[in-house]
Amino acid sequence: MSDTHGTAPGPLARGALEPRVAATRSGWVVDARRSVADLVLSDESPLAKVLVKGPVTGAPGSVLGTSSGRAARTEVGGGTALVVGSGPGEWLVVGPVGTAAATVAAIERTVSGRPEFVSLIDLTHGRALMRLTGSRAPSVLAKVCAVDVEDAVVPNGGAFRSSVATVVTDVVRDDRDGTPSFLLHCERSTGQFLSEALLDAGEEYGIETTTLVGLVPEG
Amino acid sequence: MMLLPCPWCGPRNATEFRYGGATGARPDPVSATPQQWREYLYTQTNPLGWSREGWYHRAGCRRYITVERHTGTNEVRSALDTATEDG
Ligand SMILES: [Zn+2]
Repeated sequence: MSDTHGTAPGPLARGALEPRVAATRSGWVVDARRSVADLVLSDESPLAKVLVKGPVTGAPGSVLGTSSGRAARTEVGGGTALVVGSGPGEWLVVGPVGTAAATVAAIERTVSGRPEFVSLIDLTHGRALMRLTGSRAPSVLAKVCAVDVEDAVVPNGGAFRSSVATVVTDVVRDDRDGTPSFLLHCERSTGQFLSEALLDAGEEYGIETTTLVGLVPEG
Repeated sequence: MMLLPCPWCGPRNATEFRYGGATGARPDPVSATPQQWREYLYTQTNPLGWSREGWYHRAGCRRYITVERHTGTNEVRSALDTATEDG
């Protein structure tokens, strides 16, 4: 995205983490500071989030190519998106910042004409999204989530919804260069609570906050 | 802690679910008397033993499941998706 330090028209949206060095990007307040710590938490709320609902077996699954409990990258509308099978008959499409409308339009085109009912909702401003990355990330989650996130249970590309620090959260394992990394998606009003709980759980491992990572590492 | 084996999500803490109560045959709304409705809605047998009950997995798949549970031991002998009856 080109408007890292630009100003967007309209109100500024805030994510789930307090920025150390505030900058704006596509109408969002983001953290411009990049941490080099081994364990980092980043606010990814500005990423586009689109919820797709339909029959458990049917158009959305065959078009998006992801089944419940799995996550994979696919070309959708505005670019490369991460399609998460977040539940039976439910998909969460996470796309680059500012691509929600294009993503909704692109999926609408591909499922139109199918007989079954499919609903599409842009959740971008209704949900919080954060990313926890580091070799100790599973240890952090072990303190606040009853589901075992080690390799044998949740390998890279695995997804599930459960209680994380008592918050209903979609957890998606999306490793970065072989390092465990988890996307955590929850209602936006509980995002700051969840981020504070994760920072508290990660304190003993030296957790730090960092700038938005996005779906692909940015230079 | 009590575990429920969700057919979609696997074993999960019972606190992720909302208890829906014992399930039984629903009276015919056309012919049922107020007394029969009252018994259906509010009168539970509350057995010490096997009970067939509905649970809603609110913090997981958000599906309704039907569980056969022993109320004395919390042993679960079956858990099916209520809508599809798949396990
Ligand atoms: Zn479930």
